[in-house]
Amino acid sequence: MAANYWDSSQAKYWTFTKPELASLRTGLAQQHPNLHNKYPLPDQRHLSIYVQNQLTKLARRLNLRQQALATAQVYIKRFYLSVDIRKTNPYLIMATAAYLACKMEETPQHIRLMLGEAARQWPELGVTETSKIGECEFALISTLQSRLILHHPYRALGELQGVFGLSTEEAALAYSVINDCYNTDLPLMYPPHVLAITAIFLAVVLRPAGQPAGLQAHSASASASASSSSTSTPALSGNAAQTALAGFAGLKQAGPKLGKLVDWLAESKVDMEAIVDATQEMVSLYEVWESYSERACKEVITRFMREGGGIGK
Amino acid sequence: MNATPYTPQRHINDHYDIVGFISSGTYGRVYKAVSKRSSTRPPDVFKHPSGRIIEAFAIKKFKPDKEGAELQYTGISQSAIREMALCTELSNPSLIHLVEIILESKCIFMVFEYAEHDLLQIIHHHSLLPRTPIPASMLRSCMYQLLSGLLYLHQNWVIHRDLKPANIMVTSRGEIKIGDLGLARLFYKPLHALFSGDKVVVTIWYRAPELLLGSRHYTPAIDLWAVGCIFAELLSLRPIFKGEEAKQDSKKAVPFQRNQMGKIGEVLGLPKKQDWPLLQAMPEYPNLQTVNMHNPAVNRPVGLDKWYRNTVTNNNYSGQNGAPPPDDSALDLLKRLLEYDPLKRLTAEQALGHPYFIGDGTGKPPSGNCFEGLETKYPARKVSTEAHEISTGSLPGTKRSVLPDDGLLRPPQKKLRDG
Repeated sequence: MAANYWDSSQAKYWTFTKPELASLRTGLAQQHPNLHNKYPLPDQRHLSIYVQNQLTKLARRLNLRQQALATAQVYIKRFYLSVDIRKTNPYLIMATAAYLACKMEETPQHIRLMLGEAARQWPELGVTETSKIGECEFALISTLQSRLILHHPYRALGELQGVFGLSTEEAALAYSVINDCYNTDLPLMYPPHVLAITAIFLAVVLRPAGQPAGLQAHSASASASASSSSTSTPALSGNAAQTALAGFAGLKQAGPKLGKLVDWLAESKVDMEAIVDATQEMVSLYEVWESYSERACKEVITRFMREGGGIGK
Repeated sequence: MNATPYTPQRHINDHYDIVGFISSGTYGRVYKAVSKRSSTRPPDVFKHPSGRIIEAFAIKKFKPDKEGAELQYTGISQSAIREMALCTELSNPSLIHLVEIILESKCIFMVFEYAEHDLLQIIHHHSLLPRTPIPASMLRSCMYQLLSGLLYLHQNWVIHRDLKPANIMVTSRGEIKIGDLGLARLFYKPLHALFSGDKVVVTIWYRAPELLLGSRHYTPAIDLWAVGCIFAELLSLRPIFKGEEAKQDSKKAVPFQRNQMGKIGEVLGLPKKQDWPLLQAMPEYPNLQTVNMHNPAVNRPVGLDKWYRNTVTNNNYSGQNGAPPPDDSALDLLKRLLEYDPLKRLTAEQALGHPYFIGDGTGKPPSGNCFEGLETKYPARKVSTEAHEISTGSLPGTKRSVLPDDGLLRPPQKKLRDG
């Protein structure tokens, strides 16, 4: 488990192929056709960005750690594979996931504090009793089948940083790309080291050593603490990400660091197809990000919460 | 509560029949159970990863933090969360097997495979008059299996933090199973120093010297110290360092455990900086100098060699119908586990490679059945069958305060748990 990802519950029970994910979601839609017709949702990734931004705001209030935030996001992703979001109060789910994730990452927050800050952050929460978070915690753990230990790419990034001789800026950019990957399905699909290598690849391609920082990299203010990471800016722009994808074509010419990365990958047993796919997913995320509208997400959530039944009501 | 998507998939009473009550603690209660027998459908069959069918279960029921007229969801304790997550993730022959977790009506039920005995019970049995030593082959097998389970935990970055005889289960097939992961936690690059989470870990008699001296960044070595204490206890049938716990004062400051340090000192002598280079860096180092004022015996320690000889003699090892005492490699292993400097103390892996485990002349590793070749039958775990309803409602107001097999005086079980 903690030492061996391949034996982990994440690898065995919470990793899916794209068709598997699609069929789980279709299954949910078939259970509640009326709800689905009545409340069409924005792009999955837009909702994920919304959730991440909201959680980041909560994290800033409570000074939560990035890893706890990432854990909460994965819990939410898994939960919504089994439960239709339209039947839930997403703010309660977010608060509960953050509360549980903090305990799992050994940085516990008092339930009362969590509720207080969540209520201040989200007037929509509509919950005033801590027992609601407690009740939701039961539902969350049940749905996740008590498989709460997660393997994040951050650790692999830390280990590979030295192997590839990443500069501080490149490592920081890769760190931001990893943060962004929680807005995709990638954490439900690939092992953490694949995501770490993908992030490194994107960071190296976009910021070759010796060149001035920032081909279009936006945020780059990655930090160990979520409290200082920027909210709604992706690590990369859509254009920059396209550049990265093109980088696959002329890899060897793209500088010694990239060459080293490619040689290393060739010798390793890392699943190259997975890395290519993950890179494409990230590129596609950055494109989609450009049309993200917080308001649209917020409104649709407000609508189904007002009219729908379900958790937290 | 009206119908919500929260409805649990499984109900405890649909799948298990409670046989009786085993014990209670700060966390809640433990019951013995079997698969539900019903006229309408066949009982569930639960298989152990090894393929055999699990006949009986131990169900640990966590009670909500506060008890009142009406149960409330109060948020699950850090300890319960750890145990649920770790037991779900881990799987090893020397670790108690988790069958399932049922969350129902504000209660958590962790269903484990049942173990007929535990090391505390076995020690107790041997200490009844006439005292009989634990046979050498059984001792060796117990230690080997215990260390194998511990190696697995440590390889997976888990420190147990509460090893003691009562938490080491023994099945009727002679398998050792490490239990109670309520204090266990991952130690891979923690976000905070381990110390800042739980101020006090490990029951006092088994607490490693670096913990007693206030170390902030302790390591898996604390589990190996506890294993050393358990080894000594299996040999002598009484705790080797039976100190008294200093209570926390109202300011919540963690007190120096002078008495416990003194008990260790009576046998080993107090630690010296030439043997433990980082000793002076320990927060409680100044207090260490005061131990001999309260307990002059630490100035004339018995020494482990003499302790061992006395133990072997007093426990009538040689007199036992020809059963040989453990050989001297046992003493050497004990010394290396009860090593003051955590950096020099054996790791679980090193301990498994110790000559003690290959020294029986046959060249075979110790048996996976600690009862192999023995005639002794140990009494089954006591299960109280009165009022054994595992209701999901409020617990009765009077708590069963006496554990069924609490014949030995144990130190207070209180540990601080955060969350």
